[in-house]
Amino acid sequence: MSDTNSQRQYTIRLVFIIGSVMLILRAMQLQVLDPTYSSSPDATAIDEQIVYPSRGIIYDRNGKLLVYNVPMYDLMATFNQLDPEMDTTAFCNLLGIDREYFEKTLNKNWRDPRFSKSVPFPFLTNLSAEQFAALEERLYQFPGFEARLRHARGYPHHNASHALGYIREVDQNDLKKYEGLYAPRDYIGKSGLELAYEPLLKGEKGVKLVLKDNLGREVGPYKNGGLDEPAISGQDLITTIDLELQQYGEALMQNKIGAIVAIEPASGEVLAMVSSPGYDPNLLAIGRGKGNAYGHLSIDPAQPLFNRALQGKYPPGSIFKTIVALVGMQTGELDPDRTIPCQGAYYFNGMRLTGCHGHPTCFDVETAIEHSCNAYFVTAFREIVDGPGTFRNPEKGLDVFNSYLDKFGLGKALGIDLPREAAGFYPTSKYYTDKFNAQQEGQRWNSIWIRSVGIGQGEIEMTNLQMANLAAIIANRGYYITPHLVKGFRSGSMALPDKYVVRNNVGIDSAHFEPIIEGMERVTVSGTARSAYIPGIPVCGKTGTAENNFGEDHSVFFAFAPKKNPKIAIVAYVENSGFGGTYAAPIASLMIEKYIRDSISTGRLWLEKRMLDADLMPKTEP
Amino acid sequence: MRRRRQQAGVGGAVLGRIDWMTFCLFLGLAVIGWMMIFSVSYEEYRQLGPSGFLSTSAGKQAIWLGICGGIFAFIMLFDHKFWQTFAYPVYAFSMLMLVLVLFLGTNIKGATSWFSFGGFSFQPSELAKFGTCLGVSAFLSAYSTDLRNARAQLTVLGLLLVPMLLILLQPDAGSALVFTSFLVVLFRQGLSSTYYIVGGLSIMLLILGLVFPPLPIMIALALLGTAVLAYQLPAQYKGYALGGVAVLGAGSYFLYGLDYGWHVLGALAVAFLVAAFAAYQNRNGRLAFLLAIFLLAGSGLAYAASYGFNQVLKPHQQDRINVWLQPEKCDERGSLYNLAQSKTAIGSGGLEGKGFLNGTMTKLNYVPEQSTDFIFCTIGEEQGFIGAMGIVVLFLLLMLRITVLAERQRSAFARNYAYCVAGIVFIHVFINIGMTMGLMPIIGIPLPLISKGGSSLLGFTLMIAVLLKMDKHRMRA
Repeated sequence: MSDTNSQRQYTIRLVFIIGSVMLILRAMQLQVLDPTYSSSPDATAIDEQIVYPSRGIIYDRNGKLLVYNVPMYDLMATFNQLDPEMDTTAFCNLLGIDREYFEKTLNKNWRDPRFSKSVPFPFLTNLSAEQFAALEERLYQFPGFEARLRHARGYPHHNASHALGYIREVDQNDLKKYEGLYAPRDYIGKSGLELAYEPLLKGEKGVKLVLKDNLGREVGPYKNGGLDEPAISGQDLITTIDLELQQYGEALMQNKIGAIVAIEPASGEVLAMVSSPGYDPNLLAIGRGKGNAYGHLSIDPAQPLFNRALQGKYPPGSIFKTIVALVGMQTGELDPDRTIPCQGAYYFNGMRLTGCHGHPTCFDVETAIEHSCNAYFVTAFREIVDGPGTFRNPEKGLDVFNSYLDKFGLGKALGIDLPREAAGFYPTSKYYTDKFNAQQEGQRWNSIWIRSVGIGQGEIEMTNLQMANLAAIIANRGYYITPHLVKGFRSGSMALPDKYVVRNNVGIDSAHFEPIIEGMERVTVSGTARSAYIPGIPVCGKTGTAENNFGEDHSVFFAFAPKKNPKIAIVAYVENSGFGGTYAAPIASLMIEKYIRDSISTGRLWLEKRMLDADLMPKTEP
Repeated sequence: MRRRRQQAGVGGAVLGRIDWMTFCLFLGLAVIGWMMIFSVSYEEYRQLGPSGFLSTSAGKQAIWLGICGGIFAFIMLFDHKFWQTFAYPVYAFSMLMLVLVLFLGTNIKGATSWFSFGGFSFQPSELAKFGTCLGVSAFLSAYSTDLRNARAQLTVLGLLLVPMLLILLQPDAGSALVFTSFLVVLFRQGLSSTYYIVGGLSIMLLILGLVFPPLPIMIALALLGTAVLAYQLPAQYKGYALGGVAVLGAGSYFLYGLDYGWHVLGALAVAFLVAAFAAYQNRNGRLAFLLAIFLLAGSGLAYAASYGFNQVLKPHQQDRINVWLQPEKCDERGSLYNLAQSKTAIGSGGLEGKGFLNGTMTKLNYVPEQSTDFIFCTIGEEQGFIGAMGIVVLFLLLMLRITVLAERQRSAFARNYAYCVAGIVFIHVFINIGMTMGLMPIIGIPLPLISKGGSSLLGFTLMIAVLLKMDKHRMRA
């Protein structure tokens, strides 16, 4: 057969070529020319998941666990992956929720841009590990639900809540303040050490890139995890707290209002910090129902959330006399061997101005401290303020006196590594000028008018931490290291900040401390606080009784022990308990004995029992 | 001589004097295809490890490649005259398989298209393509066959309709559609161009009918017909007549917009009759008559397409057509989802692609049938425009090379057979790749040599191996 259609081969080839060119042009349009296809697809296939770091754990100075992490699960739901046929009843029973909650939580307003049907949202938060274990086995039956692990806090003991603080979910203010650092629903330290060391404790979040298939199910890691960033765990914090001492202090302070602060003088490390009444830190741990606990604590009239050790400002009472004596000796206004007679009160021009109690005559500073003579220290204070021949210019003398108070760390926050430390207060010459000018224009004031400062009354206010620090200064014979709660970090060789290492000199020659220390020792041997005497451990202490216009006086005792190479400086402040020797001194001495000897000698067990049993809580009218 | 030939051995006998270009294109595409399947199923491989390789998609495909290699070698050693001599028996055998599969086949995804034995399954429609190639080629190369007479035309139509109808019974419309590719060999063999022109116009009108309502199509047709007649008028009237048609056109457009469509159509029908009368006066009656028939048939087609689309097709079938012709009308998350994902995957490859094994969308089930019908998405995503274009060019080279082989055959049977193969490759490539990019409607047919699936690979291996064998012996035919 002859081939008459040979030319048609070219038409056929042309058709093949045209077809192929159409395909190539279409591919070019999709792949090269049209930008809409090039950007989006990876976003659909790769999901960026946050890996939460575990928060740093907190230990006491002996390595005992104070705070650990508790796994907590959030049940997340992704709306468009839910199975409409799922067994809702079984699901609700499993979780212990009712149907109403189920419906309400799932049916969000999907027009709201905050929600998306394809983005997981929290369905039920803060499930405990036990609750989750029951759910986990059956979770596969309920597509669209997944559990996300987070770390909440747990406490093996019930103590030190004020120092430790607590964590919470971030609020709007936090998000604004630390822009970019936190995402909604992240946890953040809200008080105590959790807040102070938040940047170190929190660690760094990691990112996990996960491939998801067209239904949003996880398929596996992206690039075998090559681009993932692991979460970096927070630093484990070792605190200076001695858990046993802390527990003992809290036990002694039960049913009392007040505080105890114990410091290791040589290092400034806080051994115990008790504020009573306190609360169990477990109450404020993240979990279901923490909101209630916080509400109850915050309206309790005894203010358990208030840290009396740091935030409470109290008149120091007689313990302030040690400062007056030290400044007087240093400025030369007070001879350590000076005898000042006392006729049961401080008299001026025949007027009985400041009362005193009956005691033998004070021949020197040592006996004056022992007997805590008001007349002696009012006289000494007045002489410091008036100075030699400057009777007409008390401002200058008070300024000199106050310059020492500055060095003792009064009137300002000491700088402990806890938030919201109170500054305390001392009156300045300007304060008095303003005050008396307000009473009468142009009125000049003199040292008589401000004499109560000399015995720790009047306007002067100290925090318990400042009082404990004063005991440390005396124990150290002239210096202190800023009190702190950080001892170190478990991993890495992170050094303590300078301010917790350097010595702060108070500008008083160490020789001047000897009569004070001798006097303080005699306080516990034969003076106002014989209940603080511990056989075998020379305790140097000083009672204080701060007048309280609203009820019984506040009782305060500060001390350090042993006299040589002191290991502990302490203050105990018990509100409304009367004379300092009654409760504050025994409590402080029991703490000292507990810390130094680890146990209470049998001869003092009766005292321990009395302190443990004492109930000084104000009785509210029924 | 004899000694030397013996030394060359089996390898020489299989590959000696073969057309290397075709063979390399064939082998290259099969290897590329296997690599793409490996990439798509990489997740399986990662989970099962090297020891479980043979149970992965890529492992199974490797086994098929081995089988096909054996068949290729067998055909090369087998007598080349067999295929022409036994063309009809092979055709009949493949038709018998199509009948048997309807009774003995396994139903997969709603179609009884498969014979299953053990872990493997076979699709007889792939064999039917090969059998029909032989049958049609044998018929066309017979001395008695003349495509100008109706008897021959109807016989060829019959040879094609038997497999098409049997396959439609499975039902597998995609595979049935492949048999329209024999229009290529028929064209080469001299089937009148008129069929192609009328067919092309009909398809165009059908497609228009699917997109637009019949009324505007009829108005446009009437206008077009009137304009053609006006153009044919003698020069002195031509200008006025064309001007009149332009005014008519503008008026029709305006009035149609005011909802006077049927009035416009009536007026245009009158205008066409006037023009036809004028043409008749100018001895152009035959043209007017043909145009009138075209207008009536065209209107009928447009109306039928519209009626069929709206009244006969079920919503999911309407969706399919809309996805192809009017994607903007479709729901991105509904009917358009698969195509949108396919286009996105290809588009995301950009110019250079994401690299081998780095495609994400084609691995994570975003794309439907990602290792079979939509395998081109993986090429587009991982190899980019350069790779996509490369694949199309390789196929084009293969098709053109086959036509070259065809034209150098001395036997009409071999030439016709080559054109059958070229046509089948072309329709597969054009529809499959076009479908992944939204150029063609979604019709489930594989990409030759690339898509996963043993039957398809086997079918194309048979076709090309037989072609190469006949080409090898072309001088002795």
